[in-house]
Amino acid sequence: MKTRITEMVGIKYPIVLSGMSWISTPKMVAAVSNAGGLGILATGPLNAEQTRESIREIRKLTDKPFGANASLMFPGAAENAKVLLQEKVPVINFALGKGDWIVKEAHKYGGKVFATVVNVKHAKRAQDFGTDAVIATGQEAAAHGEDVTSLVLIPHLAENLDIPVIAAGGFADGRGIAAALALGAEGVAMGTRLMTTKESPLHDNFKKLTLEKDVYDTLFSKRFDGILCRVMKTDAAKHAIKKGLSWPAAFFNSQDIAKQMGVPYFKLFLGVLLSGYKNARQLAFMANAFKAIRVATENGDSKTGVLPVGQVQGLIHDQPTVAELFERIMKEAKSAQAKVNAALD
Amino acid sequence: MFKTAITEMFGVKYPIICGAMMWLCKPKMCAAVSNAGGIGNLTAANYETADDFRAAIRETRKLTDKPFFIAITLLPSMRITPEHHKMYVRVCAEEKVDGIEFSGTPLDKVAGMEAVELLKNAGVRMFHKVGAVRHALHAQKIGFDGVYAAGIEEGGHPLNDDVTTMVLTRKMVSSLKIPVVSVGGIADGSGLAAALALGADGVMMASRFIATKECEVHDNIKQELIRRQEFDTVIYGKSIGLQGRGLKSKVLEEVLAIEARHGGFEELIPLLSGQKVKEAWETGDVDYAPLMVGQSIGLINDIPTCAELMERMAAEAKEHSARAAKLCGN
Repeated sequence: MKTRITEMVGIKYPIVLSGMSWISTPKMVAAVSNAGGLGILATGPLNAEQTRESIREIRKLTDKPFGANASLMFPGAAENAKVLLQEKVPVINFALGKGDWIVKEAHKYGGKVFATVVNVKHAKRAQDFGTDAVIATGQEAAAHGEDVTSLVLIPHLAENLDIPVIAAGGFADGRGIAAALALGAEGVAMGTRLMTTKESPLHDNFKKLTLEKDVYDTLFSKRFDGILCRVMKTDAAKHAIKKGLSWPAAFFNSQDIAKQMGVPYFKLFLGVLLSGYKNARQLAFMANAFKAIRVATENGDSKTGVLPVGQVQGLIHDQPTVAELFERIMKEAKSAQAKVNAALD
Repeated sequence: MFKTAITEMFGVKYPIICGAMMWLCKPKMCAAVSNAGGIGNLTAANYETADDFRAAIRETRKLTDKPFFIAITLLPSMRITPEHHKMYVRVCAEEKVDGIEFSGTPLDKVAGMEAVELLKNAGVRMFHKVGAVRHALHAQKIGFDGVYAAGIEEGGHPLNDDVTTMVLTRKMVSSLKIPVVSVGGIADGSGLAAALALGADGVMMASRFIATKECEVHDNIKQELIRRQEFDTVIYGKSIGLQGRGLKSKVLEEVLAIEARHGGFEELIPLLSGQKVKEAWETGDVDYAPLMVGQSIGLINDIPTCAELMERMAAEAKEHSARAAKLCGN
């Protein structure tokens, strides 16, 4: 399939792996890129050194284009983004912040930059400073969407932007891709669907849960990590959302994060404190969410672990390899589209 | 030029159906949509007596010889009682209307299977607006002809399963044998093409039809829908177990404030009265009563006639599918 995204990046299928912490690891990124999509490395849980190692590992596993994300709200994200630029990563996907400097540097080596957005205003701003494409996150997506759903957001963005739109949220099969293309998108990003493949490092306990849960088995709340976030409806998630922000837990969990990032705790603590109460509160929320997501994805602990998933979990019934999935999806998309043509003639 | 289960079932040109709108879906508006090639809507709750209701059906028939839907909401309300519901069903059967859009409680639970049989024998097509597969399966089981898959983005009262139209349509299509019509978030031809790609046999829109020349509503309201964007609606009413989506306004801010401090039903009732909505439509005061529009208002930029709207949507749907076809190599 040829779209502006496949042409821009040089991939076979217009399918992007969402950058999911502890899931979009080097092996998973390579699996998606080798199967003809675009793998995106999640750098959220990594420090600068780990980011560099991960990119080098990906390059050993695939010679295809790939990307990496930078969630600019997280501490350490700017340092990671600098590593991505030094390593000349083909696609950088920034979110939750202003990535103009990333665009400027990436374009110097021919890299492309995608901005993850939830509204037209942010999308236009990203386009204005030279971003190459946007990933539009609808309400139904895993983790950080906002109120507006894909069905409304995609056509509005497609109509108002010159750069291509990649639709995220609500896509798990070929019919979804055909719908996204009809709405004006040039590709889709998939998280939930790809986390339930053979190559995905998501713990088996949660892969099994994803297969069992239905479209309505998610929770969408600001009380998990401080901004609107969609997670799988489990007892642990209900408990976390009911409890809201726990500062003492954040104190301990942020020490873990400091260790992981390889920075002295007092330095992280001071940095966060100096960033103001609102930001400190947000990061405290995120510190706890980080812990809950990590124990879910890595340890499969459904008692305390919480997994961000999209509503499409209810459309997922199997665990194929990424290559099998892509082939099936593209076949389905073609036949779904052919049916639309038949209805229109 | 369109051929789906819906266009075949009703013999209409476009698989575009107007959704129920209290105070707005009256004979003139209903006939305008049907005459333009879609399927218009006559909302039963506008009429409190069998005579008035029957007169409205006959008036619509004078204005159009094309099929149209009656909308019957099977939910308890201050004004419309279960007796009204039974009366509407009886009159629809007697008048042999083309189709009914039911919403709320399943028809058999409200009026028994005899109501379903009565309508079936009168040749009335029955559709239920649902937000979950379990409700759709019930409609299918009792012999309904189709369902409307209503996502969380719709104006009015989306089910608190909160599933979006994109995901819900997919799920419904793979779980049902009867036709599925997508509702919520659709206002143009790209949405129509997308719904068809998801496997739906048509779309239902309401907010989009408010901003048409034929809709009898104050011009301020139409202009406001053009001005406002997709993020300008809000969900309220979760605390009283009946969530609604409406245009962000002073009155809904007040409603949400009352809900936030756990104010009760009694405090909310005066703010949510249907009579006030009627006045707001007439005076054009958007802050006076909750106006139940969906996120699709972000896609509304003009006030065409119903015929212009539908022709344009058909052309857009064609154009968008042609582009998608090219990308898919079809």
